[in-house]
Amino acid sequence: MSDPLAGLRPEPIPTKITEEFWEAARNEEFLLQYCVETGQAQFFPRPVSAFTGGRDLEWRKSEGKGEIYSYTITRRGPPPFRDAGPYLIATVELEEGVRVLSNVIDCEFDDIKIGMKVEMAWVEAGAYKFPVFRPAS
Amino acid sequence: MADRDIAIIGCAETKIVLRSGRHVYDLAGEAFSKALEHAGIEKSEVDGLAVSMPFSDAGNPFYSPILADYLSLELDWCQTTDLGGASITGSIARAAAAIKAGMCETVVVVAADAQSTENKGNIGAFRTEFQYPVGVMGPPGYFGLLSHRYEHQYGLDFNALAKLAVTQRNHALENDTACDKLQKLITEEDYFASPMISDPIRMLDCVMVCDGASAFVVTSTKRARELGAKHVVHPIGYGERVNVACADQTPDITLVGHQAAGAKALKQAGMSVSDIHMLQPYDDFLIAIVLQLEHIGFCEIGQGCDFVLDTDIAYNGDLPINTGGGQISAGQAGLAGGAHNLAEALRQLYGEGAGRQTSDKSNAMVTGIGWIPYARNWGTSAVLILDAN
Repeated sequence: MSDPLAGLRPEPIPTKITEEFWEAARNEEFLLQYCVETGQAQFFPRPVSAFTGGRDLEWRKSEGKGEIYSYTITRRGPPPFRDAGPYLIATVELEEGVRVLSNVIDCEFDDIKIGMKVEMAWVEAGAYKFPVFRPAS
Repeated sequence: MADRDIAIIGCAETKIVLRSGRHVYDLAGEAFSKALEHAGIEKSEVDGLAVSMPFSDAGNPFYSPILADYLSLELDWCQTTDLGGASITGSIARAAAAIKAGMCETVVVVAADAQSTENKGNIGAFRTEFQYPVGVMGPPGYFGLLSHRYEHQYGLDFNALAKLAVTQRNHALENDTACDKLQKLITEEDYFASPMISDPIRMLDCVMVCDGASAFVVTSTKRARELGAKHVVHPIGYGERVNVACADQTPDITLVGHQAAGAKALKQAGMSVSDIHMLQPYDDFLIAIVLQLEHIGFCEIGQGCDFVLDTDIAYNGDLPINTGGGQISAGQAGLAGGAHNLAEALRQLYGEGAGRQTSDKSNAMVTGIGWIPYARNWGTSAVLILDAN
């Protein structure tokens, strides 16, 4: 696995809302917040259910499987990625019904397509692990 | 507003400059002073101030009263509007509401930013955790994602974007306030040859962040008459949609809030899109114009490129679009950028369009776009309808 942004990614700064998410990420587990009342997942994590406004939320592990909803090729990144060379960014729709914005690695620019199946992979971001995607095996 | 009880009686826009080195209060002061002069009123008339939150003073929690102090204004009402590029249209509507509520009578609405000189923005929130580690190239990155999805669903005819780029540039060449660095003729070939920033967004799809300011004098129509105002334009319809479809975790990102905002503004004005004679749409990216044309109802969803190619959108055409060059060809004065589109609409309606004056100056639609949420399109959509009669 090769991360085009290796060593450059700023470390995520967890808030009280996301502490548990980032702790689980250290073990390469992607936690989704679920609204207990409606059974629906939401991402990114919020202080309330996006569906009801209530506070009855729980974390459940995602399978990390999904497909490309859209993508772009960053030709020259913002700091601190100015010299990283071009890299892929995609919005991935997970099977659990949320979208995640991240990088796609191990994929040629000409090969990426909307609808392409992807799976989650983990890369370093400072002291944390960060979720990215690669073509499904 | 539909009964024409509110009037915009003056406006001014500074030159848009890349890295001017100026302070945001200085830019605001220039626009304020010129707007008073344009409206032909004394400073003592002003009892309200609405300002757009700028990047260049973003850390200031007392922005509007301190700016008022710099302008030496003693007020009955003031507020900061933090809707990003939709702040100016939002401020006009809020000023109108404050006047109608009796909180004040004459408001100066100011949008100033020196973002290319100084940026104190610290947006934080989800960005520090879930966006910055990914390396999204800011708004061009998000519009790259939006463009590819649009292309997948409807097809994206880049010839339409090239036509928009060239038309707006031609307009900017007739506009003295446009940024000097952009005062060069471009061709459709130049559009296609411009470098990719975040595919399929090219450099000529994007705004260039600059410094600049605009100011507008808003009062009751009754007071405008008493003052003998020479320039009178009425805001007659306004719609705003913040965070369209935000509870939906897998929304169609080609669906934008201008559908709701446009319908509300048109209904309030008692108009349909065919009554609109001039469009000054917020243009951070060319595809944003296409999406707004579709969602406000100038054409069907997915038909925006065909509409652009089939319509004469030049200043002397059937539906003039961004006759001052838009932000893409005049420069984007940071978070005050949307004020360029409004200032141009007013110049046209006041008959001050110079070499790019539209033949019909009876009404105009101005739009706003503000802030970019996580993995979606844009957060705030606004539509304002102005009438000169």
